[in-house]
Amino acid sequence: MIQKKVCLLGAFAVGKTSLVKQYISGIFSEKYQTTVGVKIDKKVLDIQGEPMTLILWDLHGEDEFQKIRASYLRGSSGYMLVIDGTRLMTVGVVEGLQQMTQEILGGVPFVVMINKADLSDQWEIEHEAVEGLRERGWTVIEGSAKTGQGVEEAFFTLANRMVDV
Amino acid sequence: MHEPSLFTGLSEALSILVLKREGVSRSFHTLHSIPEWYRTFLGKSLEDFPNLLPDLDSPFLKHFLPQVHEFLDGQTTGQLTSGIWCEQGADGKDYQFEATAVASADTQLLLIQRMDRGELELQTVLQTAREGGLQHQRDMAEHKQVERQLGGKLERSEQLRDDLLVILDRLQLGTIMTDAQGRMTFVSRVAQELLKLKESDVIGRLWHVIPAFSADDKAALEDMIRQPIGKRTKVPVVFESVRKRRVSLEIDVQQDPRDPQRTIFFLYDVTEVHDLREVLTGQHRFFDLVGKSPAITDVYARIQDIAPTDATVLIEGETGTGKELVARAIHQASPRKGQPFIAVNCAGLTDSLLGSQLFGHKRGAFTGAMQDHQGFFEAAHMGTLFLDEIGDMPLSIQTTLLRVLQEKEIMRVGESHPRSVDVRVVTATHQNLQELVKTGKFRSDLLYRVRVARLNLPALRDRREDIPLLCDVFFRQSRTVTKKMDIQEISSDTMRQLMKYHWPGNVRELKSALDYACIHCHGGAILPSDLPPECWESVDRPLGGINSEVDEREQIVAALTRAKGKRAEAARLLGMSRSTLYRRLDSLGLPTKD
Repeated sequence: MIQKKVCLLGAFAVGKTSLVKQYISGIFSEKYQTTVGVKIDKKVLDIQGEPMTLILWDLHGEDEFQKIRASYLRGSSGYMLVIDGTRLMTVGVVEGLQQMTQEILGGVPFVVMINKADLSDQWEIEHEAVEGLRERGWTVIEGSAKTGQGVEEAFFTLANRMVDV
Repeated sequence: MHEPSLFTGLSEALSILVLKREGVSRSFHTLHSIPEWYRTFLGKSLEDFPNLLPDLDSPFLKHFLPQVHEFLDGQTTGQLTSGIWCEQGADGKDYQFEATAVASADTQLLLIQRMDRGELELQTVLQTAREGGLQHQRDMAEHKQVERQLGGKLERSEQLRDDLLVILDRLQLGTIMTDAQGRMTFVSRVAQELLKLKESDVIGRLWHVIPAFSADDKAALEDMIRQPIGKRTKVPVVFESVRKRRVSLEIDVQQDPRDPQRTIFFLYDVTEVHDLREVLTGQHRFFDLVGKSPAITDVYARIQDIAPTDATVLIEGETGTGKELVARAIHQASPRKGQPFIAVNCAGLTDSLLGSQLFGHKRGAFTGAMQDHQGFFEAAHMGTLFLDEIGDMPLSIQTTLLRVLQEKEIMRVGESHPRSVDVRVVTATHQNLQELVKTGKFRSDLLYRVRVARLNLPALRDRREDIPLLCDVFFRQSRTVTKKMDIQEISSDTMRQLMKYHWPGNVRELKSALDYACIHCHGGAILPSDLPPECWESVDRPLGGINSEVDEREQIVAALTRAKGKRAEAARLLGMSRSTLYRRLDSLGLPTKD
């Protein structure tokens, strides 16, 4: 069976662990539990008629306390950049991480998930900023780990693009 | 050599799995039995394990081992840590580990430690720090939002303020704001222009320093500030501008609705209105005379004819028609206007006293004449002497006066030599001198001498159209004199009443009636009930065809109001019997009971 390593990257508390939990088991918890190091999960899905195991590396949030180890990224077939729509500063973090990942992994596929669509009335990220990300050629999906909106789509899109590479 | 059972015990106790890399095969062997916790994680029994690296269902270890080999191959001493990772165990629980490769001179180890105890204090610390960071970000976002809202409000507020200032300026409405102590905090552009101020010069100073305000103006404004809101009226302020132009303002004193301790002065520029009013009023005035009726304008014309001459004048007219005002107007319009004007009332004085007053006396001329005394003729030298009530002048004085008029000389009582005087004599009477001549009370030759020029002043009832004008002038004077500046107007009912009354005392009575009304008025307008009773008692007189049924109803209702509903009193006010009043009430459909 094909196995693909996928890293989830983003600032702390953007909802990376919640997205994985929603994706793996359809569960969402309001309680914020910070991730230390990396949390690894697996998900089998069917891509283009073939089963694929996604090894999901849910990396700790990037902040002044914890920096992403470059070694974690090695061997990844793709990655997901996660932004918190209610915190504008998380866009800047993702931009830095994307640059770092690009340097380590080269041009592997990635998608950008703007999480917390259920709190769209509190979003600090304007429509123009989202369009700005898309104009860079990035795949941007707006979704919510709480409601599940866009979660399947994000992982499925990424998996498909990893197969196509 | 090591003791396997000791390692097994330590491994269990410290939750650590110790593996040693064999140099040739580069494979890892455990130095002790596989600990229970690791077997549970993998879901395997003890028998399932060869004494090799417990493979490697762990994606993380699969990922980490190449790095470990690379490290151990290249290093003789040192260590490489994996960082903490978390995986789900076979029992469905999450297990957290950290792996460390250790290189020493003769040994290469791989330690896999379960992080399920105190080590996870790190997580607690990070959790606390990140929650704090999140809260900080939320606070910052909230602050930014509040800042944006406040910024927006401030911007809107400033925009609104600017708009209001533009509107105020466009309306030519000057505004001055003061704090509780009366210090100016704001002076609008129009106010600066009107008062010739620079905002920078006066901000922070008391409003009393405004040079355009006279002491009286300041007192009136202070008084208005002390008045309750409902009792305040605009304060008129007139001053001369730098260019000697007269500026008329009306100042409305208000409290700041946000802070009653602060005061706002609204300055209305009424200069143009005043100028126009003066132009209009000027056409209806002649010196101190007021009126635009044909009767009074004819008087103005005749004064202008008479004034330039030195002819003696006789002014006739009922009491209160303004004879002295006419005499003054003649003097003012004459070439003698810069000289004295002396008015003497001839009524009620004995001939000796009047003679002494008119012509003067010498010291010792009579008992009590302690020193020389100059008479009115001498005092009025080069000017005008006004002899009022000349019909009451004693005959002996009439004789002397006749001689003075003919000779233009006077002789003081007790003196024997004449003194030349250049005096214009203007006389007045309310009596018919012709009749007095017939009865021998007035010398005919004097009559002919004094009435070289004649003026007959009309009674007020013969020039009713002047009443509103006269009322306007007298009302303003009365309001000021009685300090009832809160009275704004004369009601239309009152004006109708004033127009109907027959005014036996003429203009003097009208002025007196308005003084009376201002004293008795307690509202913002003079009502019919504020007028003197005599103005009421005449209301049923058929004067000038004014009375109609509507007027009569109004008069009766007004009388009843004034009499507080008492029919007998109302009848008295209306000058009719009670039975007549009841009959009229009945015919007009008004209630006949008190």
